[in-house]
Amino acid sequence: MTGFLLRRLLILLATLIAASLVVFAVLQVLPGDPAAIMLGTGARPDTVAALRHRLGLDAPLALRYLRWIAGLATGDFGISYTYSVPVRTLIGERVLVSLPLAVLAIVLSTAIAIPVGVLAAARRGRAADAAMMGVAQVGVAIPNFWLGLLLILLFAIRLPWLPASGFPGWDGGAWPALRALILPALALGLPQGAILARVTRAAVIETLGEDFVRTARAWGLSRRAALWRHAVPNALVPVVTLIGLQFSFLLAGTVIVENVFTLPGLGRLVFQAIAQRDLIVVQDLVVLLAGSVIAVNFVVDLVAAWLDPRQRLAA
Amino acid sequence: MLTVSDLSVTLPMAGVPVPVLSGVSLTLPRGGSVGLVGESGSGKSMTALAVMGLLPPGARTGGQIGFDGHDLLAAPEAALCALRGRRIGMVFQEPMTALDPLMRIGAQVAEPLRRHLGLSRAAAAARAAALLARVGLAPPRVTPDLYPHQLSGGQRQRVVIAAALACGPDLLIADEPTTALDVTVQAQVLDLLAALTAEAGMALLLITHDLAVVSETVEQVLVMYAGRVVESGSTAAVFARMAHPYTRALFAASPHAAVGDPAPIPGVMPDPRARPPGCAFAPRCARAGGECTRTVPPLLGTDAHRVACFHPHAAR
Amino acid sequence: MKGSAWRSPSLLAGAAITAVMVAVALLSLVWTPYRPTAMDFVHRLAPPSAVHPLGTDSFGRDVLSMIMAGAQSSLTVALIAVAVGAGLGIPLGALAAARAGLLDDLVMRGCDLAFAFPALLTAVMITALAGPGAGNAMLAIGIFNIPVFARVTRGAARGVWAREYVLAARAAGRGDAAISVVHVLPNIAAVLMVQATIQFALAIVADAGLSYVGLGVQPPQPSWGRMLNEAQTFIWRAPLLAIFPGLAIMLAVLGLNLLGDGLQDLLDPRLRRAR
Repeated sequence: MTGFLLRRLLILLATLIAASLVVFAVLQVLPGDPAAIMLGTGARPDTVAALRHRLGLDAPLALRYLRWIAGLATGDFGISYTYSVPVRTLIGERVLVSLPLAVLAIVLSTAIAIPVGVLAAARRGRAADAAMMGVAQVGVAIPNFWLGLLLILLFAIRLPWLPASGFPGWDGGAWPALRALILPALALGLPQGAILARVTRAAVIETLGEDFVRTARAWGLSRRAALWRHAVPNALVPVVTLIGLQFSFLLAGTVIVENVFTLPGLGRLVFQAIAQRDLIVVQDLVVLLAGSVIAVNFVVDLVAAWLDPRQRLAA
Repeated sequence: MLTVSDLSVTLPMAGVPVPVLSGVSLTLPRGGSVGLVGESGSGKSMTALAVMGLLPPGARTGGQIGFDGHDLLAAPEAALCALRGRRIGMVFQEPMTALDPLMRIGAQVAEPLRRHLGLSRAAAAARAAALLARVGLAPPRVTPDLYPHQLSGGQRQRVVIAAALACGPDLLIADEPTTALDVTVQAQVLDLLAALTAEAGMALLLITHDLAVVSETVEQVLVMYAGRVVESGSTAAVFARMAHPYTRALFAASPHAAVGDPAPIPGVMPDPRARPPGCAFAPRCARAGGECTRTVPPLLGTDAHRVACFHPHAAR
Repeated sequence: MKGSAWRSPSLLAGAAITAVMVAVALLSLVWTPYRPTAMDFVHRLAPPSAVHPLGTDSFGRDVLSMIMAGAQSSLTVALIAVAVGAGLGIPLGALAAARAGLLDDLVMRGCDLAFAFPALLTAVMITALAGPGAGNAMLAIGIFNIPVFARVTRGAARGVWAREYVLAARAAGRGDAAISVVHVLPNIAAVLMVQATIQFALAIVADAGLSYVGLGVQPPQPSWGRMLNEAQTFIWRAPLLAIFPGLAIMLAVLGLNLLGDGLQDLLDPRLRRAR
């Protein structure tokens, strides 16, 4: 078990380093000199050069990469070129919006998708199954930002129940903040839930055909008991893996959906940083997001292995 | 105790109902034993699933299956759930896939105990451990907290047997219980089944494709072909005469019985969607005459021995 | 094969919707009810009527004409993005399957790495930094199609490489590239087609997302995403403006997904009952 964990951790670390190299390299290749942009079009060349020196942009590439990565490792994300505050502070504030949003979206999509998928599988071929899967098929096709607009139309304009945009912050209490996150979380979570429901259904239908389900029925378990005690747990392994894979889509979706609802999250920060060529912030953010995708999939792999004794005990 | 009379089953294949069983009858007294023998596709497993009420969705049935005063074909699902695992136990052909890979074997054996006898978790676990020990899976080599994948095929089949016998059923249905096992293990598992059923006075319905296997294990034999019973009777009578040409062919094909190499039966069983109008075995039968291809031969004889053939063999 | 195609409702519906989308996109090249860029400030935010079947936007442009032109730009971006992904990903995957070992490992680790980056987010970054526009949008979406095609190709191709006629061709001294082109790729073409359909749908969503945040096709050329963005400003006065372009995206994606499902069912009858 320890050997397995150690090996996985090494792979995790290698992937993280590779990801940071890719991000750093891509940002060097793309046009746009942060110093020139910060100073505006009328700046004199020597002023720009001075700023480049102050920001450490004139150092050799390898040195700049090493400085940056060493900083990341010690929790120093650097200083924002435009705001002149530590990037860590900038990110810290925004994470408090984006992380609850992502978690809420995952919880919502899972809470809806798994029961729907299991139910559809149990009633496969019947009207309820066809109806649920028809809705899921359409749900998969709805882009999250358009769903966001539709939700605003319905629940903020037609029925003035929830705010259409903005975020009051957590200082005013949890409820007003959560209220502002409900529609964005639905916009993000429902299309993901539609995919998850389809996969859950397919996985449960497959396990329902397994011999051990028939064995359980021969022991006197009802159809329902055999479904929940044997078919569903066995179907969960691929479903959990998919939830992990969806996390990456969810993060990308956050970037767009935060714009729909003007939420001050990481997605908005990415846009501001790009617009102002605040490259250090862009660099940090992309590595952070890629890192969290890698970390989440690492955890999900462990969960899947833990769910399945064949993998758990082999490891 | 178990009386199957004139059982017929049709299954939808590509939307068309296809008969897979016709006119199957058998009687199994309390504590008795019956062997159902035939090639795959003969309908022997379908008979077992019909008794269990676990036929595939879309199946249509005719006739009666009487079990201790219940008509199993007419019984509501809840009544069947109360019988399955409690009064009727079943052992399947494929031990490799018959157990839930995510559940410890002790918990699986405990499942029918908790379901039917309402035992507490601890009491069920203790009983399950005792049952596992009874089928030869005792610590230190095998403990109840192992998972199925940690066991061999034979050990897994013993777990399935322990679970099937957990609630002390009156009838045990064993569907090819040894087919998937190594030859060396086959005899052990069969002996275990015979010993356990005899000891508890349990009736046994043993399904196999190997005619030689039943000769030592059961009191009565039914030979099935293409969804019908072609020969039946006491094991002694059937083996003494082997009146139906198919029975003889099946015996010659058995790896255990034949002198010399087993002789495979030439030809294949007819597709259930396109069975010949007369005797289904006629196309593969050397003795078949004109009437065999026109009329289905009736199953005639006495309780001690019946055969469905226009040209039966005389005594061996 | 022909008979079963007609029995699959999702294949038929998907093919029909996709055909209509393509037809509309092609038609928009030669004819739209109005010039999609023509502004008419007298008739701003007009509701649907006989003159403007889907109404007009905040600049008085005809929404139907814009959606038709948007179909053209959306399908073009998605098509080229998928072509970029398939054009680079399929050879990479085929190569990885042909040469097991280090090269295979390298390609697959590369794919793993690419999957760590949230695709749309990185596309946003690339288009924003490299300059917004249709060309960069195609590239940015296309890049993330490369590992998808590489993985699928490799997975499917490895199965073919194990078959006897490939071994025979190998024994006859044919090179890896020749075997890949002659024997392997034709055998996995169907799988790749299904994947391409799915990726096409994803690319349409990605393109709409990019143009929603202003990084896709640039004005005055209409795009569905930008239409939604502009509609948001007037969502209180003209909510319908936020409906029609979204419906267009949804229909296009739904059609392709149905088509993909239908093709998949056709290829793998075992799955047909499960779906």
